[in-house]
Amino acid sequence: MANSVKPEITVQSHLEAAGVSRRDFLRLCSVLVATAPAGLALTKTGSAAEVAAKIAAARRPSVIWLHFQDCTGCTETLLRTSAPDAAHLILDIISLDYHETLMAASGEQAEAALRQAIADNAGKYVLVVEGAIPTRDDGVYMQLAGRPAVQVVKEAAGKAAAIIAIGSCASWGGVPSSDPNPTGAVGVDTVISGKPIVNLPGCPPNPYNLLAVVLEYVTMNRLPELDDLRRPIFAYERVIHENCPRRAHFDAGRFAHSFGDEGHRKGWCLYKLGCKGPVTHAACSTRHFNETPGVWPIGIGAPCLGCTEKNVVWSMGTAETVPIHLATPPDTYPPIYSSAGKIKTGAAVLVGAIAGAVGSASWVASQRFRSSEEAGAERIAMDRAHAFKDAAAARIEAAEWKKEEVTTEKAEAAERKKED
Amino acid sequence: MSATLSAVPNSPVKTPTRWERAVPVYGFPVITRFFVVLLALTLVALVLTGYRELAGLGPVSGMNDLFGWGIWKTFNVMVLTALGSGAFAVGIAAWVFRRKKLHALMRMALLTSFLAYACGLLLLGIDAGRPWNFYWIVFPWKWNMHSPLAEVAICMSIYAMIPLAVENLPPVLERLWYFDSRLRPGVEKIEKRLHAVFPYVIALAYLLPGMHQSSLGALMLLAGERVHPLWQTPFLPLLYVWAACFMSFGCVAGVTMLCCLIWQRAMDMDVLDEAARITCWLIYGWSALRFLDIAFREQFGTAFHFDRFAGVFWLEMILIMGGGRLLQRSVRTHDTGKMFLGYVLSSLGGMIYRFSPTTLAFRPNPQALYFPATIEILVSLGFIALGVAGFLIAVKRFAILPGPLYLWHDMASYFRFRRPYIRWTGYFKYGHFGEDEKITNHNSHE
Amino acid sequence: MAITRRELITTIAKAGATGAVAVTAAAQPLRAETETVSIPSAAVGLLYDATICIGCKACVAACAEANGETPDTRGDGLHQAPSDLNDLTRNIIKLYKPTDGSPASFVKRQCMHCLDPACAAGCPFQALHKDPESGIVYWTADKCIGCRYCTITCPYHVPRFQWVGYNPRVTKCELCSHRLAQGLKPGCTSVCPTGAVIFGPRTVLLMEAKHRISQNPGRYFKDKVYGETDNGGTQSLYLARVPFEDLGLPELGQESVPARTLRWQRRFYQYFALPALLYAGLVQVIRKSVKGHVEEAHEREKETGLRAQL
Repeated sequence: MANSVKPEITVQSHLEAAGVSRRDFLRLCSVLVATAPAGLALTKTGSAAEVAAKIAAARRPSVIWLHFQDCTGCTETLLRTSAPDAAHLILDIISLDYHETLMAASGEQAEAALRQAIADNAGKYVLVVEGAIPTRDDGVYMQLAGRPAVQVVKEAAGKAAAIIAIGSCASWGGVPSSDPNPTGAVGVDTVISGKPIVNLPGCPPNPYNLLAVVLEYVTMNRLPELDDLRRPIFAYERVIHENCPRRAHFDAGRFAHSFGDEGHRKGWCLYKLGCKGPVTHAACSTRHFNETPGVWPIGIGAPCLGCTEKNVVWSMGTAETVPIHLATPPDTYPPIYSSAGKIKTGAAVLVGAIAGAVGSASWVASQRFRSSEEAGAERIAMDRAHAFKDAAAARIEAAEWKKEEVTTEKAEAAERKKED
Repeated sequence: MSATLSAVPNSPVKTPTRWERAVPVYGFPVITRFFVVLLALTLVALVLTGYRELAGLGPVSGMNDLFGWGIWKTFNVMVLTALGSGAFAVGIAAWVFRRKKLHALMRMALLTSFLAYACGLLLLGIDAGRPWNFYWIVFPWKWNMHSPLAEVAICMSIYAMIPLAVENLPPVLERLWYFDSRLRPGVEKIEKRLHAVFPYVIALAYLLPGMHQSSLGALMLLAGERVHPLWQTPFLPLLYVWAACFMSFGCVAGVTMLCCLIWQRAMDMDVLDEAARITCWLIYGWSALRFLDIAFREQFGTAFHFDRFAGVFWLEMILIMGGGRLLQRSVRTHDTGKMFLGYVLSSLGGMIYRFSPTTLAFRPNPQALYFPATIEILVSLGFIALGVAGFLIAVKRFAILPGPLYLWHDMASYFRFRRPYIRWTGYFKYGHFGEDEKITNHNSHE
Repeated sequence: MAITRRELITTIAKAGATGAVAVTAAAQPLRAETETVSIPSAAVGLLYDATICIGCKACVAACAEANGETPDTRGDGLHQAPSDLNDLTRNIIKLYKPTDGSPASFVKRQCMHCLDPACAAGCPFQALHKDPESGIVYWTADKCIGCRYCTITCPYHVPRFQWVGYNPRVTKCELCSHRLAQGLKPGCTSVCPTGAVIFGPRTVLLMEAKHRISQNPGRYFKDKVYGETDNGGTQSLYLARVPFEDLGLPELGQESVPARTLRWQRRFYQYFALPALLYAGLVQVIRKSVKGHVEEAHEREKETGLRAQL
């Protein structure tokens, strides 16, 4: 349980005083490194030892935790760690100066503790807000010690160094804000302005996100880089779909069509069951819960509900499929006009050779025609001479042959006369 | 016209040669080095054809999904049968328009046509991917009469097998008549029947090529916009058949001139001038039609872009019109070299024209290209070589190449006196001036 | 001159008779080109909405599986990633990605099953024919001669020839007719995760497409359904955000390719009348020529003493 310890003491000295082993502390730091491999100045150095050194040297941060329209799930997520010491460790590193669920006090004592905590750590504490803040009807729907939540949060935020809105309810209204939102529930950043606010949506979010943000603030004296919805980029930059372990099944068109069917049992993509992974910004697909791989909704076969997104989780039906939008199509697609055919050198050389041969032969032939005119005349004369000569010889032979015929005929005629 | 053998030899007075008779080429052996090279090429082509039948069309050619037709269909069929339309073009000029002088070229035209069509049809069979289904050609109700390709295949086959073959029979029958006197009665009977149906066969021989040469043009009509607008026109069939006309004139006259050059035969400039004049006017008319058509379709601007299409277009037109101009001038100046060059250039231009719409001017998409593979070229070349070899044999064994009358007698005496041991041609038996009357008696058969 | 007046008259008279014979003897009367393209009674097709397609290519894989085809891994030897339609790929997803940053789009290409297919118009022995009821264009192996004319006439370059092997075939989408017979849908439509491609009767698909256009003004390019009248109408319909030309679907006008390009060809060969007429005329002219030629040949024969060469 948290005690109101003076925040001047470093984390290291407190851990030593609390009897926390260095090994446990290092283990926590390695989890932190795994939680935020990028996007945090704290973990940029990379190794658990270096992170541990940074944290150890830091002042023990004072944290004031306020609950409004909540279910205490975000607190539970901080406590529900599978390594039982981790929860204690987290609570040992941060100094939880006010927490309604965890502190022993109640009633007047609790209110006094809150006023004390705010006064003691004014300007230095991190205000963590859990739960939505009702604004309708002057905020009467959630009152703390008779004062509307709006008033309480404004007062607490006024002296805070930074505000972390943990959970979807504190980030944008969460469950209480679902249609018709009768209480006018809104997130913290609607009510508070002028202070640095970090939203950690999720229902619940991963506890290490909170720890990383707090420690980044304490060690580096600044909040991590945020997107335009004030969510830290290291945890909320990507959608579930981008890093989902079941993405291959989505890409190959293997879907579970109903709970318990063959596809579901084989662990196929849950898109057709209404998984909101493609439109949900969160890191659950890479950093699962309870420090145990596979412990997260899709991992156990439940389609993602999109609990971090305001327009998804309580606005869309659980079985409703989401439209999928790709920011930039990849280049591994065939273009509209594909190429075909190529020129091979051997063939080109052959064609060139044939063309050249035909061309030059024609040219040479045409030239020969001119020169052959005279030669032709000679040849014609030669042919004629031959023909003339042979014709003469032929005539002579023919004449002789005729003479023979005539003589034989005469001989035959004479013979016939003789016989008669 | 009787043979004037009383001309004094070695006289400076040169009486002009007249082609009065087709005379076989004698004094030149069939088996020469060139002939052996042709046979070698044919053998290579046959072996490669066997490989093509087993391996499919992909490994042997440069054809691909976007260029489905390679040079076999587009060159050997489309271009070479255009060159081999001599029977059609020269025949129409001789028989329909009664240009009597061109009858001297008829046998040459018929032979070149037959060989070109035989080569083309063989390659059509090799190019078809599933040729065993060609038997459907026998069932007319299975023909798709909308298809220009069906029209081409059917018409070409019928044409080559019936009218063209029948028209090429006379030299063969003549040779048989001289070869063995025992065959004469049979030959004369066949010839009688032939002469009875001659007009009907010849008319078919002009109708069918007109149909399929124009359908060859219609083939690319279906490709629409993918053929560059300088070629794609509704007049494509007409331009194709017209181009076939002047190309075949070029082929027939050019080949005849070349043969006369090689085998030192005298040329009849009357006939050749006539042919040149006809070719020249065919070329001018065709060119005018093409330019008018392009202008009418408002595509003339594309002819002046700096791209390969404009380049090919102008190459074609320059070759064709330049060839025509050369022909025109050669007639006037009696320059046979120029005439030959004119024929060659105009035929070459016509060949490129008929080749373009399927390959050079065909743009299925901006990225695709086609270039023939080596095996494809060798097969194409080999079958052309086969055709040329067939031509050489035919021209040396049958009376096809025209010559003056005295040449016939010279041929007879060649075989009778100078090479009396060559008995098997049979030609030695005629032209013997003693036996003229006896032979004339045998000749009367009508 | 060539033809005398008398010859002309006899020619025309005989041509009339020949023409009548030709009509009755015609193998197949040709369709008059004024006839409009008929839509098959039970025309089915696909509607592809490129604005919904995510390019997952599940349809490419499913198509190969549905048709019992080995996946085309010839690209890198490992992945089924064909770069275009080919002899193993009847359906492909392509990406149009302009370099100037304007919207990109996927496009699914397969047979368009045109109402007046150019491939069937050009096929010599009707190996490609359009089913009169469903309108699906089928290829039959036992009529095909492998001439590849279909690869040239199809304006969308759909039919693909098998270039390797001694028994090549022509491959193209046939709307998984074997699955339709079992009451299933085509392979591609049954796996599409977003419903970008759907199957159904053409009339219903057209209605759906028009409905989408009216419900989403400005979403679709020119509020146009490609294939409604393009190329005379196709049974594969397209909706897209970018110009259809950029997706490889050319602008072909309202007339089908065969109707537009073969008009004069069809007119000339209608009932074979003109060819028959021409033949009759030729016969007349040539008979006279032949007679004259034969007479001259006989005279020359007598002069020279050599046998006539005809």
